[in-house]
Amino acid sequence: MSKIVISLGAAIFCCLILFACQSPKGIKIVQLAVPSDPTISFAIWFKVGSQNDPAGKAGLAALTASILTEGSTLQNSYDQIIEKLYPMAAGYGSSVDKEMTVINGRIHKDNLEKYYELFTQAILSPAFKPEDFDRLKSNTINYLEKTLRYANDEAFGKEVLYQAIFANTPYGHPDDGLIESVKSITLEDVKNFYQTYFTKENVVIGIGGGFDNSLVNRLEKELTTLPPGTPALVAKPTPQLIEGLEAILVEKDTRSTAISIGFPIDVWRGDDDFYALWLANSWFGEHRNSSSHLYQVIRETRGMNYGDYSYIEHFPRGWAHQFPPPNVGRRQQIFEIWIRPVKNEEAHFALRAAIRELQKLIDNGMSQEDFELTKKFLKKYYLHYAPTTSMRLGYRLDDAFYGIQDYLATFPRMLESLTLDDVNTAIKKHLQYKNMKIAMITKGVESLKKALINNTLSPKEYQVEKPAEVLAEDREIEKYPLDIKAENVRIVRADEMFVK
Amino acid sequence: MKPFYLTFFMLIIFYGAIIARTPENVQGIFPYKYQEQILENGLKAIIIPMESPGLVAYYSVVRTGSRDEYEPGHSGFAHFFEHMMFRGTKKYPGSVYDKLVTEMGADANAYTSDDITCYHLNFAAEDLEKAMEPESDRFQNLFYEEQAFKTEAGAVHGEYLKSLSSPYFLLSEKLMDTAFDIHTYKHTTIGFRQDIEAMPTMYDYSRSFFNRYYRPENVVLLIVGDIDPTRTMELVNKYYGNWQKGYVPPQVPVEPEQQGERTANVTYNGQTLPILCVAYKSLAFDPQNKEMAACYLLGDLAFGETSEIYKKLVLNEQRVQFISADFSSARDPQLLSIWTMIKQEDDIDNIKNEIFQTISFFQQNRVEDQKLADLKSRLKYGFLMRLETPDDVAGRLARYIALTGDIKAVDQLYTTFDQVTPEDILNAANKFLVEQKRTVVVLKGGQNQ
Repeated sequence: MSKIVISLGAAIFCCLILFACQSPKGIKIVQLAVPSDPTISFAIWFKVGSQNDPAGKAGLAALTASILTEGSTLQNSYDQIIEKLYPMAAGYGSSVDKEMTVINGRIHKDNLEKYYELFTQAILSPAFKPEDFDRLKSNTINYLEKTLRYANDEAFGKEVLYQAIFANTPYGHPDDGLIESVKSITLEDVKNFYQTYFTKENVVIGIGGGFDNSLVNRLEKELTTLPPGTPALVAKPTPQLIEGLEAILVEKDTRSTAISIGFPIDVWRGDDDFYALWLANSWFGEHRNSSSHLYQVIRETRGMNYGDYSYIEHFPRGWAHQFPPPNVGRRQQIFEIWIRPVKNEEAHFALRAAIRELQKLIDNGMSQEDFELTKKFLKKYYLHYAPTTSMRLGYRLDDAFYGIQDYLATFPRMLESLTLDDVNTAIKKHLQYKNMKIAMITKGVESLKKALINNTLSPKEYQVEKPAEVLAEDREIEKYPLDIKAENVRIVRADEMFVK
Repeated sequence: MKPFYLTFFMLIIFYGAIIARTPENVQGIFPYKYQEQILENGLKAIIIPMESPGLVAYYSVVRTGSRDEYEPGHSGFAHFFEHMMFRGTKKYPGSVYDKLVTEMGADANAYTSDDITCYHLNFAAEDLEKAMEPESDRFQNLFYEEQAFKTEAGAVHGEYLKSLSSPYFLLSEKLMDTAFDIHTYKHTTIGFRQDIEAMPTMYDYSRSFFNRYYRPENVVLLIVGDIDPTRTMELVNKYYGNWQKGYVPPQVPVEPEQQGERTANVTYNGQTLPILCVAYKSLAFDPQNKEMAACYLLGDLAFGETSEIYKKLVLNEQRVQFISADFSSARDPQLLSIWTMIKQEDDIDNIKNEIFQTISFFQQNRVEDQKLADLKSRLKYGFLMRLETPDDVAGRLARYIALTGDIKAVDQLYTTFDQVTPEDILNAANKFLVEQKRTVVVLKGGQNQ
């Protein structure tokens, strides 16, 4: 009897601490109980994203999510919702990526009831008021027309790259859409999209913090009142093969050039090679960290820009986040290099420097010393990835997306087991430097095109004496052959991008 | 991806909620106990133990920012110096320091503003002493040669260049330049363009900057997280005890009283909806000054998300993308400003008049008690809900500490908020939101693209 009690107790204990379970009615629930947390975090994941935007309606997923979280409900107008949330300093929001839409919020136990009502009403009974729709649609059009294309060249460069890599696939447009397609979206489109994708068969409940089980039961019961329906799956995107280096030069009157480089890779979180490639990538370009090798070459040694980084998983809004945000799970990732804006006259040099470093990594692999240091770094750095309940909950949902168990616990274990050989094998298998897309937001596109296709020398000048070894390396960089063919360089104007 | 403006000047906490009570044995809003010591050399150390997943936040708050840049031709130096602080010492040259930080898996960064330069590290609790040694060393013994200095000037220039695509940056630059005559708030933290371009030639000045401002009397250490306070304080004394005094306060000019409205226009080289900023000279941050607290609250009452003008212009008539107010908490009087992005260029004057009418309303009518109570509740709970991690805690405190040198400023501020009445709000509107204290800047997109 005691053994049964102990076993049962252990099972319950494990379930309470960390588990994902299926309710009898079929809604998956991901729980992260943290009894000491006086707040409760909600993360309601709908298996929909911009990949589900119908043809000609790019931006529909994002607009639908925003009308849920920034619009009226059947019970309250939007301004009434704001009034009710205001004194609680609370709110809820949505994040929409290619494949995942998460409605998230957080509240202290003391105000749970008032908040819970508003939060669930936002998901279950959106009012789809025309005035809310008009406001949000107008905001989106302004963002695409003006903010994305003019106010942030780094964001612009990244979206240009993504569109180039994923052209003619469901990933091939910004999540917020395209200008003409957003203009064509109607309120009816939004209502239909909601009915199709925000269904009880298509939802996963995420809940974390100091909740009790009765809340989970309530939430699960309420979400079974979502519309029924199992939407058709979107096939994993198959990006077109890249042949050679293909450059998109976006003409803009700017003093500095934003550069993004990338190509698809066949590695997901949890894959055998994922951890090895993560380590290699950390050494090569750890996000916003001076340990990044690219940062050392371009910024630290040469003072060319604010930073240089690389990625094997999508990392949105890198200028605003220090650590990877959760809930951007994708079945198709890319290897990406981000060169923050450099002076226009140094853009060619910077591009060569970055690609040359990538070639060196691939040809030579990592050294034992760099491998050991990076391993040591990551063993503690990962502690910063998810220090809060809501971040950890986000990672739990991503575990469910990728079909893996507890990534945050697995990561240090897998890291520990890695060898240099594992890492160098993964580099050779998954990285290459000859077939990549390059996006550059710059002025003087004609002369840059000419320089790129002619492999014109691009010397770098300094206002200070540099060590001989740096200058010697510069001699190599300035003539590094990119061998870009003329037919592989496309020039567009900024105002031609993201129109339709 | 949400439009940029939704995260600009946001007061709303999307993941917010309320802690209704502070622990019984702790006074004031700040819920954690702390220990404080001032060393003989004037360095203040504030140690705050809190539960964390084995992490420590280590903040070195230097009470110097772009406000201290009073010498002509030297704007942007506080920020530039923040960059230089990563270039190492003789004991820990730059590459060695970087390697130490990397080995610890630490998240290390810094930022500069008008009144603060803040160096922050987050690392595993077991590495406290390992982090403190090089950290204390670089504050006392920073060493870099001219070559490294000139190289870093390039990175700073790169940072400036990337900012130029932001219309908000350009508008802020113009706003401060127009609103201020001689005070150092006239220039932005990154500095005037010509000064940034001249930075590579100012190696000697940079050394003088370090010697005057990077002194213990001008720095507060804030260490939060999984720590033993006694042991931590011992280490602080060990590693910082020999740091020599020598702070020389800057001779910041006193801004004369503004005598009339100022206006300016900015043309943005690209496409943007027009942005209007209406700003008023206000008061310096003083957590015990009820008049300042009233100014602080007035902005959100009049222009926040529950205000009538917001409902009208954002939600109902949809003539603006957003409207919001900001009170700049600063060591010297700065601005209470209202920002709005307007959908039609020919509506700019009308929107400006709507703002003036709102101000006029608040000058003649007391705000409802409930509205004021709601805002006080929101500010308090918004503060409390963003104290989840050691980095959150240190990050929230850093600015108050830079402005006042005193952690008590937090409790004082919220106590003062509680004391503000509708009458105080009315008086603040009448005293400060007046034409002679006003600067109006309009930014419009250029015709080229």
